[in-house]
Amino acid sequence: MLRSVFGKVVHDQWRMVLGWAAFAAIWPAMYVALYPSIGAIGDMQRLLDQMPPAVREFFASSSLDLSSPEGFLNMELFTFVAPLLVLAYTVVVCGGATAGEEEVGTMDLLLANPLPRWRIVVEKSAAFVIGTIVIGIGMWVGAAAGAAAVGVDLDLGLVGQAIASSCLLGFALGGVALAIGAITGRRWLAAGVALMITIAGFFLNGLGALVDWIEPWRPISPFYHYIANDPLSNGLDAGHALVLVAWALVGGVVAVVAFERRDLSR
Amino acid sequence: MPDPIIHTERLTKRYGSARGIEELDLDVRAGEVFGFLGPNGAGKTTTIRLLLDFIRPTSGRALLFGLDSRRDSRAIRRRIGYLPGELRLYDSLSGVELLTFFAHLRGLPSIDGGRRVAERLDCDLTREIKALSHGNRQKLGLVQALMGDPELTIFDEPTLGLDPLVQAEFFKLVDELRAAGRTLFVSSHNLPEIQRICDRVGIIREGRLLAVESVSDLKRRALRRLELRFAEPVSPERFARVPGVRELVINGLHLSCVVTGSVDPVLRAALELRVEDVISHEPSLEEIFLAFYGDGVAGGPPSSATPTTGAPTEEVSDVA
Repeated sequence: MLRSVFGKVVHDQWRMVLGWAAFAAIWPAMYVALYPSIGAIGDMQRLLDQMPPAVREFFASSSLDLSSPEGFLNMELFTFVAPLLVLAYTVVVCGGATAGEEEVGTMDLLLANPLPRWRIVVEKSAAFVIGTIVIGIGMWVGAAAGAAAVGVDLDLGLVGQAIASSCLLGFALGGVALAIGAITGRRWLAAGVALMITIAGFFLNGLGALVDWIEPWRPISPFYHYIANDPLSNGLDAGHALVLVAWALVGGVVAVVAFERRDLSR
Repeated sequence: MPDPIIHTERLTKRYGSARGIEELDLDVRAGEVFGFLGPNGAGKTTTIRLLLDFIRPTSGRALLFGLDSRRDSRAIRRRIGYLPGELRLYDSLSGVELLTFFAHLRGLPSIDGGRRVAERLDCDLTREIKALSHGNRQKLGLVQALMGDPELTIFDEPTLGLDPLVQAEFFKLVDELRAAGRTLFVSSHNLPEIQRICDRVGIIREGRLLAVESVSDLKRRALRRLELRFAEPVSPERFARVPGVRELVINGLHLSCVVTGSVDPVLRAALELRVEDVISHEPSLEEIFLAFYGDGVAGGPPSSATPTTGAPTEEVSDVA
C-alpha cells in the first residue's frame, strides 16, 4: 500500500474508516428497525400537524409525513445525523491533510522527496473521497439491513441517493477545511472554521424556510443544496449536486494554489 | 573550477520579527564535506529549508547542481538526501515501511541501499517508529537520507541523540562518502564534530555568514581553555610571555588561561613545575566567535566580509 501518498493515507486510515462506517451504519439501521414499533406514530403525526408550519419547516425540508418510513427517516436521520456522520470525517481529515503534517513536523521529510506539493493535496483528497464513500456505503448497508430485519418496505435506491447527497455535502465542507488548512497550516483552525460554516449553513437553510428576507440567501448554504430537493423522496437533483461538487472543487483548487505558494511551517 | 553543487547569491529570508538570514553568499564544491557551523537560531535550518524550497527567499537566489532552487526544485530533490533537524518520522510505520514508502516516492527499485546503511548503524528496521528511542529514530533519519546514494546529502544536526559508538560509525560513513565523491552539507552547532568530518566550514551567526574557512586553518587557530593545578605556588611571569596565551588568571596553586593554537608552549612552561592536574575545555561557539571575529559581529558590515578562506585577521583576536 505504501506506494504513494494516496496509498499512505489508505494505510493509515483504513481501520479508522471501516470503524467509522460501522458506527455510521448503526444509525440508519436503528431508525429503520424502530419504525414499525413506534406505536405512537399516529400521535406523533398529530402532534407534528399541530405545530406551526414554520417550526416544521425548520426541521425538515419536506412536509413531515411520518406515515411512511421515508418521511420518518427524513426527519430523524437526514436532517442532521447523516450529514454529521459524514462531516465529522471529511472536515477533520481534510483540515489535517497538509496542516496536520506541518504541525506534527513530518512535512519537511515528506517534501524532501521529489514530489510536487500539489500531488500531496490531490492524492490525499482522492483518498478522503474513497473514505467518505465507504462511510456512505456503511450507512446504506445499515439502512438495508434494518429494513430487511423488520420487513419495512423502503426504497433503497432513494436511500442511496439521499446518502450520496450527504457525501456531497461532506465533500463541499471538506473542501473548505482543506483550503483553510493549506492556507494557514493549522488543522484545528481549519476544521473549526469549516464546522462553523457548517452550523451557519444549517441555520441559514432552516431559517430561510421561515423568514422571508432570508429566503433568497438560502442557496449560499451548502445544506440547502443538500436537502432542498428532498433526495429521499425525489432522488438526487443534478443542479444541486453540481453546486456541492463545485464547492469541493473550488476548495481543492484554493488549497493547491495556497499550498504551492506558501512557506511551509515546522 | 567546476560548477559548485550549492551556490547562493545574496540569499535573504526575513520574517516579521524572527531572525532569518541576510545576504548569504555560499559555495559548496563537488565532493567536499561542507560544515555549516553556528549556534542554535543562527539561520542554519532556514538556509537549508530555502535550498529545499520549503520556504521562499525574500530576495537573492540559490542554485543547486546549477538548477534554480525554486523553478527546478523537484529535479533538485531527486538528487538530494535530507536529514531534517528536530526529526519527526511517521510514528505509525515501521522502519521498513518508511523506507519502502520513500523508495517509491523517489523511484528507487528497492530499499537495499537503506538496509545496508541500517546495518552499518545497527538500526532496527522492523519495529514501529513510535516504539523507537530518540537515538534510534535519528539513525533511521540518517538511513532514509542516505538510502538512494544521493549526489548531495544535507544533514541538519546529524549526530543529535546518537550514542558515541554510532556517532563514530557515522563519521566513518562520512569518510567513505567523501572518498566516493559525494557532496555532504552538514549543519551543526558542535565544533569538534565539524572539525572531525568536514573539509571546509561556513560560520554563521545571527543570519550572517561570518567566514568560510578550511578546517585545517580552523584547527591551527584552535582555541581552548586550560586549567592547571600545581603542587607549588606559581608566578604569573612564567606564563605571561608564552605565545598564544590570553586571559591568564593565577590564583594560588591554580592557573587558568585561554590558549590559541598549539598548547605545547604552555605545557612545556608548566612542566618546569610539579603539575597535579590538567583540564582542557572545548570553548563554546560564542567564545570562538568572540575570539575570531570580534564582538561587533551582529552589527558588522554585511558585504565587506567576503567569505573567503582565512578572512579574519589576527588583530581582531588580539582586541578580543
